[in-house]
Amino acid sequence: MDRAIVVDHLVRDFVVTEKESGLKGTFSSIFSPKKKAVHALKSISFSIQPGELVGFIGPNGAGKTTTMKSLSGLLYPTAGFVQVLGFDPWDRKNEFLKQIAFVMGQKSQLWWDLPAIDTFELNKAIYEIPDRQYEETLNELTDLLDAKKYLNIQVRRLSLGQRMRVELIAALLHKPKILFLDEPTIGLDVVAQARMRDFIYDYNRKYEATILLTSHDMDDLVNLARRVIVINEGKIIFDGLLDELTNRFAKEKIIKATLSDEKNIADIEKIGKVKKLAFPEVILTVPRSAVALAASELLQNFPVEDLTIEEESIEDIIRRVFKGEGVKTKLF
Amino acid sequence: MNKYLSIFKTSFSQEFAYKLNFVMWRLRNVLQIFVLFFFWSTIFSDPSRMVFGYDRGKILTYVFGVMIVKAVVFSARTVDIAGDIAKGDLANYLLKPISYFKYWLTRDLSSKALNLIFAVGETLILFFILKPPFYLQTNPWLILAFILSLVLAILIFFYFLLLCNMVAFWAPEMGWAVQFLLVIIIGEFLSGSFIPLDIFPLGVQKVFYALPFPYLIFFPLQVYLGKISLAFTLSGLLISIAWVLILGFFANFIWRRGLRRFAAEGR
Repeated sequence: MDRAIVVDHLVRDFVVTEKESGLKGTFSSIFSPKKKAVHALKSISFSIQPGELVGFIGPNGAGKTTTMKSLSGLLYPTAGFVQVLGFDPWDRKNEFLKQIAFVMGQKSQLWWDLPAIDTFELNKAIYEIPDRQYEETLNELTDLLDAKKYLNIQVRRLSLGQRMRVELIAALLHKPKILFLDEPTIGLDVVAQARMRDFIYDYNRKYEATILLTSHDMDDLVNLARRVIVINEGKIIFDGLLDELTNRFAKEKIIKATLSDEKNIADIEKIGKVKKLAFPEVILTVPRSAVALAASELLQNFPVEDLTIEEESIEDIIRRVFKGEGVKTKLF
Repeated sequence: MNKYLSIFKTSFSQEFAYKLNFVMWRLRNVLQIFVLFFFWSTIFSDPSRMVFGYDRGKILTYVFGVMIVKAVVFSARTVDIAGDIAKGDLANYLLKPISYFKYWLTRDLSSKALNLIFAVGETLILFFILKPPFYLQTNPWLILAFILSLVLAILIFFYFLLLCNMVAFWAPEMGWAVQFLLVIIIGEFLSGSFIPLDIFPLGVQKVFYALPFPYLIFFPLQVYLGKISLAFTLSGLLISIAWVLILGFFANFIWRRGLRRFAAEGR
């Protein structure tokens, strides 16, 4: 088996019932419900090699989570073909389920009223993990996540960051070969986010686990995923290396300059689009092809103290991709 | 098997997390027994009086029997399934290598074990306070049939409750309402936990016996009290088995249909 995940022309529709606001809407929805089909996934295809760490990017409702749910056997596909580790996920065979884990940042599998260690013990039994292996994995994971002190506290008393750490341990005790992470860093503070990222990175390396990750936090993706799949409105609009995404969609460069004098400062508009002008700092965006010319003009005509040329931020690029700018015409 | 033993243990500890809740639930049962006890005591104040084939001893045994049998049959965690489906928490179980039905049956059994322990304790205490005449069944065959009828009652109730909960696949906000209507009102009333069903006219009784509900509480108790003929005992057991199979079939069928609709919402 060479590919861990194969998805071919996957389609998933949802039927939603619309209800107008208020009591009147409630009544009319009882007697004549307005049903509407929502096409969450419109024939998507991709495949993933074992050990890859792939990031899913897309705005809310783009179909990222729907894809992951289809891959883990939670959703019945409307049409198309899905194969994960050689299994049809929908069959939910025990051999398949023992090799995957799905962590949702907004959902907990832990028993709320009991300490996390009880859930771990239960998972040990459910996944039929041998005693020795359980002890080893548990120690390793608690060390990696520095979570020893939270294991014996009732889960409801843990903070979000603490809970996410024990949540991950619960999901990884059976050493899944494929790990689905849906917004693992949502709601976490900067320190906790960084810790989570380091952990995911290490886990991918150490166990050669295939990891699929969704996140709205571009830092997650920049730091973790080399390959990204961009989904918008149920379609894949980019699948490739993150660097390639930048090269293809970054049409502008950013020039940041520090000036020593305010003289002629209004003329600076002629060089490029002014994004920020707060003396002594100026930020301009210029087309990629014209960046050298713009920089030299700036140096010749203005009292420049310092000058840097930067790439557009990944957020800006992604935002443009979602707006559909340049995608349809250039790519397809 | 070890899987389910572990689930049993964890579920048992979970019950203790809501001590006050549990105590209130038991208190409710005890109060209900008090009310029924004094109600029937008054009717049967003359010890030689017989009504509908019950004397004072048997009706009061019935009342106490209801408490024990209810603890075994009606205690269930399965009521949480509708919420699981509506909130999408069902996903957590679907991702695990366990059978969802067996998981909940196991949790039910742990709840039943806990409730049984308390019900027996409560019965003993009430017994010493109220000192009712008590009918002790000595025929081992009837005791065996009683236990068998309890097992079947547990399974009927399990599948019935499961079916009610699965409404949440199609109408997520209705799960609780359906349970309330079907389980608490129809279930408790038609099962005979308020009044023995044999005080109803024969024609009505016939209708009841075709339904699964009398086999939850009333039938097992009748077997225990030795109030029904051997033929009726056997046919009752067979009807129970038939209901287990019918409800089990529909539960499985609707479960598969429901899962196709399930969207693992909640985010």
